[in-house]
Amino acid sequence: MIINGVAIDDTFAEAFGMRATRILITALDLKWAYHAARAATGFATSVIGCGCEAGIECELSADESPDGRPGVTVLLFAVSSKELAKQVERRVGQCVLTAPTSAVFSGIEGEPINLGKNLRFFGDGYQNSKVIGGRRYWRIPVMDGEFLCEETTGMVRAVGGGNVLVLARGTAEALAACEAAIAAMSKVRGAIMPFPGGVVRSGSKVGSKYKALTASTNDAYCPTLRGAVKSELSPDVGAVLEIVIDGLTESDVRNAMRAGIAAACKVGSAGGVLRISAGNYGGKLGQFHFRLHEIVK
Amino acid sequence: MSALTLTLRALPPHSVDVSPLIPDRLAGLNKAAVENIVLGSLGLQVADLFAVNGDDAQQMIIRNSSDRLTHIGSGMTQGAITVEGGCGAYAGIGMRGGRIIVTGTAGPFAGSGMTAGGLEIRGDAGDFLGGALPGNKQGMRGGIIAVHGNAGDRAADRMRRGLILIAGDVGAYCGSRMLAGTILVSGSVGMMPGFALKRGTLLLARQPSELLATFQDNGEHALLFLELLDRELRRQNERFARFLPLGNSVRRYCGDLANGGTGEILVLI
Repeated sequence: MIINGVAIDDTFAEAFGMRATRILITALDLKWAYHAARAATGFATSVIGCGCEAGIECELSADESPDGRPGVTVLLFAVSSKELAKQVERRVGQCVLTAPTSAVFSGIEGEPINLGKNLRFFGDGYQNSKVIGGRRYWRIPVMDGEFLCEETTGMVRAVGGGNVLVLARGTAEALAACEAAIAAMSKVRGAIMPFPGGVVRSGSKVGSKYKALTASTNDAYCPTLRGAVKSELSPDVGAVLEIVIDGLTESDVRNAMRAGIAAACKVGSAGGVLRISAGNYGGKLGQFHFRLHEIVK
Repeated sequence: MSALTLTLRALPPHSVDVSPLIPDRLAGLNKAAVENIVLGSLGLQVADLFAVNGDDAQQMIIRNSSDRLTHIGSGMTQGAITVEGGCGAYAGIGMRGGRIIVTGTAGPFAGSGMTAGGLEIRGDAGDFLGGALPGNKQGMRGGIIAVHGNAGDRAADRMRRGLILIAGDVGAYCGSRMLAGTILVSGSVGMMPGFALKRGTLLLARQPSELLATFQDNGEHALLFLELLDRELRRQNERFARFLPLGNSVRRYCGDLANGGTGEILVLI
């Protein structure tokens, strides 16, 4: 299959079941909501080393938010419910509670996990709770007034590890195509691309020659190893970049992949994009398979 | 199906506990079965007091109601009871769901011990609205009470959770010994509001004429939870329109410092 001169590989992205939640962060203005959200989603690119994968999903206008202030929604994904609960509490406690004027709310229904339930103890006995509309909120006194947070947020089963590989003539071309793809994928609700700018250059394979490592560089897609290993790259490919997608549902991941591939193909061979591929482990590890040809059909 | 309507034939000679007349208990009963229900300890049957019509127990109506009918909606968990007229003490006591509307005046202890549901009193409410019964440690424990008129003394006494809205004035000792929850008074409050308040919020539209010495002025604040409360009331029903907008700017008084000091009286600015 070729779209706008870009070959779409007949392969699939292999993704895994994860646990996820959505939280809403509001603040006096969007700038401070972003400060809190960016801090809370920092160092959250991969569950391999960060404990969770997280990103900003979208902006909320004052009309859409629970407290009539602007904000953003954040998605967090982890491999287990226990780890997700730990990451949510730690990140909200260190990054949202601390951000001036911020407040945090649950953004999804599901099995409840702690949001402000334990953070309330920061109030040292001066905290108060209010049950409004069947939901419990904690009012924690802080130096700029009160930090308002919902007691719990919902946890749902989700999909992590959807991916798209962009193969281009050079790094600049691959990056331009990925930026276009990320711009399109960011509009899809329910999905995040957790890596820096949404793009990852250090795609990995399972295993390593070093026993201590569970993953190592994806040598088949490294242009500098062409000739030294069983490469997947033709001679004209100078750079490969990957976009990893986590979604609340299979369809969110699929929609994001579709938007991203379409945007990258729009750049086309004229822009130096040569192939679109995807990473998998032979289909034996992940429950979810996203076949590229079916997605772009 | 039409609403199950109980029309009071004549004023009973004494107070009658009508707590069996709730949707939970009457669902599925035919007219004869409803008429044979015994009320109170003196052997009165429903048919002795009421004309029974209709069959939908989820939408009950009590017509020609009187302040001699007590415990209306006691312990109900579902459905709706509309009381046309006033009612006696203990309306909605211990209710766990559903909705009661009293078009007239309600007696003392309305909503005492309720844990969920809605009680709307379109007239005045008596003393101990949402308050604790003598000997009980807690009064109202959840749900919403809305009073369109005035309320008597000791409103929300030992209240543990929930929301009480009073559009008119309220008597003395409003929120006395309150443990948690929120009470909003749009009119004036009587003497010693928040007496022995432990936690919880008295939200007042007007500055009280005097406050206990054990309440301390915290200054003016914009509190975000009031925005949530405002939105929730808007979302629920236009019935609460008379209490809105709340705004979120308040002068805060913390207290009762003689009882821990973690409660608050908020006066809307």
